Amino acid sequence: MKTNKNISLDEIGKELPFSVPENYFEQFASQMDKQIGYTPTVKHEIFRPWMYMVAAVFVGVMVVTPVFYTDSNQNNTTKSSDNYESYVLSQVDETVLMDYYVNDEATK
Amino acid sequence: MSTTETDLQIQLHQPNKRAGAFSTVVRTYQERLYWHIRKMVLSHDDANDVLQNTFMKAWNGLDGFRGESQISTWLYRIATNETLTFLANKRMRDSNSIDDVEDILLQNLKADTYFNGDEIQLKLQQAILTLPEKQRLVFNMKYFDDITYEEMENILGTSVGALKASYHHAVKKIEKFFSENE
Repeated sequence: MKTNKNISLDEIGKELPFSVPENYFEQFASQMDKQIGYTPTVKHEIFRPWMYMVAAVFVGVMVVTPVFYTDSNQNNTTKSSDNYESYVLSQVDETVLMDYYVNDEATK
Repeated sequence: MSTTETDLQIQLHQPNKRAGAFSTVVRTYQERLYWHIRKMVLSHDDANDVLQNTFMKAWNGLDGFRGESQISTWLYRIATNETLTFLANKRMRDSNSIDDVEDILLQNLKADTYFNGDEIQLKLQQAILTLPEKQRLVFNMKYFDDITYEEMENILGTSVGALKASYHHAVKKIEKFFSENE
């Protein structure tokens, strides 16, 4: 028995019921390039953006480290020379010290 | 006209930049043109052949394109001509066949690996195939792609009024087909 319900265009929708092979358009474009004798300039992206970032951080560390290193080294040197002076003075007898200054004055 | 369109048109006429610009044109318009052709010839293999012919015609005829229209309009015109030529040739080749071209197209569609429609969508394609070729073009361009009548006028060279009437008749015929073939 036939139904009276007519199929309308709205019910079907506008989606196309067709598909293409995988990567078809990519391959088609490359094939056309060949046919017209065009060789696209391929950018060899060996270095990815994250590599540049890592390199920048590395360079930054290399530049900044010696500054801190030298600074802290200098502090250490100052500290150790202060300590050494106190140590020497603590080991020296007062009379010896007096002799040293007197003799020093005498030689001048 | 956008800057890219203007730049492309200039580059298409510079010998050292022509091929690169054309490669960009292919990448920009290949999908739209493919679907425009595919809706008319239905099978993927045939659409692929006609698309290649379209771009080769465009490449060889670059000197004749002087920017009187947009690149897309110019390409659509070539694609339409190539499609109609393909169908005419098919009609000639199959003139001895018992089936007419539309039946052959439908049979090919059913067998095509790249057709993934359901029964109703197949019926719509069958209904569209009952339309005369030019009306089929108009229906496809309006119904599926929603191309404006003004743009269609530039591509097909038919007045807006005639295109509107053609689309209206096409819809009526398709609905009639549905009511008669349930």
